[in-house]
Amino acid sequence: MIQIEHLAKQFAAPRTGRGLFKRGQAGVPVQAVADVNLRAPDGHITGLLGPNGAGKTTTLRMLAGLIAPDAGHVAVDGIDVATQPRDALARMGVLSDARGLYPRLTARENIVYYGRLQGMAVDAAQARAEALAQMLDMKPLLERRTEGFSQGERMKTALARALVHDPANIVLDEPTNGLDVLATRALRESLRWLRTPAGGAKCIVFSTHIMQEVERLCDSVVLVSHGRTVATGTVADLLAQTGQTDFEEAFVALAFSPDGATR
Amino acid sequence: MKRLMKGLKLAWTVYRKEITDALRDRRTLLTVLVSSVLMGPLVLVAISMLVASLESRAELREVVVDGIENAPSLINFFERQTYTVKTAPAGYEAQLRNATLADPVVVVPKDFEAALLRGEAPIVEIVSDSANQRSLAGAGRVQRLLAGFSRERVMITLALRGVAGDVLEPVQVEERDLASTQTRATQITGMLPYFVMMAVLYGALNAALDTTAGERERGSLEPLLANPLERWVLVAGKWGAVATVGMLIAVLSSFSFLPGQWVLRSDTLAAMFQYGSREALWFLVVLLPFAAAVSALLMAVAIRCKTFKEAQASATVVMLGASLLPLINVFSLGSDSPWYLWVPALAQNVLMTRVLKGEDFTAMQIGVPLAVCVALAAAGVWFVARTLRSAAVR
Repeated sequence: MIQIEHLAKQFAAPRTGRGLFKRGQAGVPVQAVADVNLRAPDGHITGLLGPNGAGKTTTLRMLAGLIAPDAGHVAVDGIDVATQPRDALARMGVLSDARGLYPRLTARENIVYYGRLQGMAVDAAQARAEALAQMLDMKPLLERRTEGFSQGERMKTALARALVHDPANIVLDEPTNGLDVLATRALRESLRWLRTPAGGAKCIVFSTHIMQEVERLCDSVVLVSHGRTVATGTVADLLAQTGQTDFEEAFVALAFSPDGATR
Repeated sequence: MKRLMKGLKLAWTVYRKEITDALRDRRTLLTVLVSSVLMGPLVLVAISMLVASLESRAELREVVVDGIENAPSLINFFERQTYTVKTAPAGYEAQLRNATLADPVVVVPKDFEAALLRGEAPIVEIVSDSANQRSLAGAGRVQRLLAGFSRERVMITLALRGVAGDVLEPVQVEERDLASTQTRATQITGMLPYFVMMAVLYGALNAALDTTAGERERGSLEPLLANPLERWVLVAGKWGAVATVGMLIAVLSSFSFLPGQWVLRSDTLAAMFQYGSREALWFLVVLLPFAAAVSALLMAVAIRCKTFKEAQASATVVMLGASLLPLINVFSLGSDSPWYLWVPALAQNVLMTRVLKGEDFTAMQIGVPLAVCVALAAAGVWFVARTLRSAAVR
């Protein structure tokens, strides 16, 4: 269960027009996140949908405790991320925007390393790596060094690494980026299974800017635009709210309407 | 206490991973080993070959003379000093310039004997090239030889007139050299500490950059920080691994001089350069804290950089500092000031030079550089830990 309430974050603007010998003027600060609200229950896939630059990645970074928010409250299973970041992280599996692997380690070593960092025993981490490789269909990759892995193979390894401690909450930042159709389908299948009671009834938060992903996978959608939550509900709710039949139209209406941007 | 134990256990996990990672970077390690660790012994061998060549020249007792036929009396003197006289080859000036001729040439003018008889002090030239080290070394020897000839002539002339030769030497000069054999050797082996320190620096450089800027460039730092770890744990593990690599290089390069001296070509140098296990161990006492401090410093510089390449550029400043500071000791010609001990890199150079000279240490001389290294390492680790989170998301 993940709860985000009135989250806000402002970044100091990068200096503009800097020359070799003169410092440019400081620009206007960027309000990356202004007021994001999200409630993701267990056994449920929640889509965080928004156009590029809407503040999705910043929101998820604050959720993972990498950036301290200016205002608002983030809790994972009732644990406050700001005050108990490590307890919160132990209950989360985060697949961040950056998903670099260690090229000189094998896929298995990459996964087991994270298991160890999560405080697991070697045997448990090894067993878990096997099980995840089975689930993500990446058994043949396990003993290979990750140098030269394809995008899909990297993605699977990074996902297995994030899930190694069997977290109750799974946070994925644009996981389908750079994946082909088959890999995307496989990922979708894995996520659906993780949502079921057999898969552990995980709380899954999934950020994307692709509407089809949301339509096919998500139980509910949180639509973010210009750093604010502009709409919440199931796909059907959002269609009804905008009076559209096509989800893309509904998305554009909600995310880019002058009303939605200023609300 | 329990939290500390857990932290140390996790730091150990990070350490093991980083060490594995660094040791698998075979090509880089091999380059460092070949270029840095072998460098010292190779230089030692090169120096020994130079010294051996100088020695063999001196032992040969040869004088190269242009215009032998003009100076029978001089040749007679040379031969009485058991020197062999060789005729200078044609075009000896060019040969001296391009260093194919290793001996200075004595040029005797045509009317040498006649001028000598008339007491006109004929001019005898000693031709050498100051860019040709070997001919220059021989020039001093030939000069002394010619001075001997002059003195002999004077003595004979004076004796013929019934004057005692002592009149010419109202003062007797004798040289007494206080330097021990080892101290003299450091004139030649003085650059060895420098090579060892460079080896340690270059050894630590890659690992330090890879665990910081490299991690940022790969995009693996952000997911790493999504693990429930305290930052000092992460940084301690990483620093430990980098320092270990640096220390490994320190051990290898310190001990590489042991086999290096077996192949010394010059007996004199071999006798002077006394580098045994004791010296190697003292080198380590000096170098291990240095490796730890430099690792932390390099990591602190690199964590601010987004890419490996950028970090390499920034690290150049550290490398430059570490290569220039020891030169203060080289140029001050052995008179160290107390503040040297407070300057990293310089202090290590001073201490290692003392080891090579066979001199003892005071507790202060060991303690001050050690304290500086500890402070530097702590500051570096603290800075990396502080910067880590903001570095991950920028």
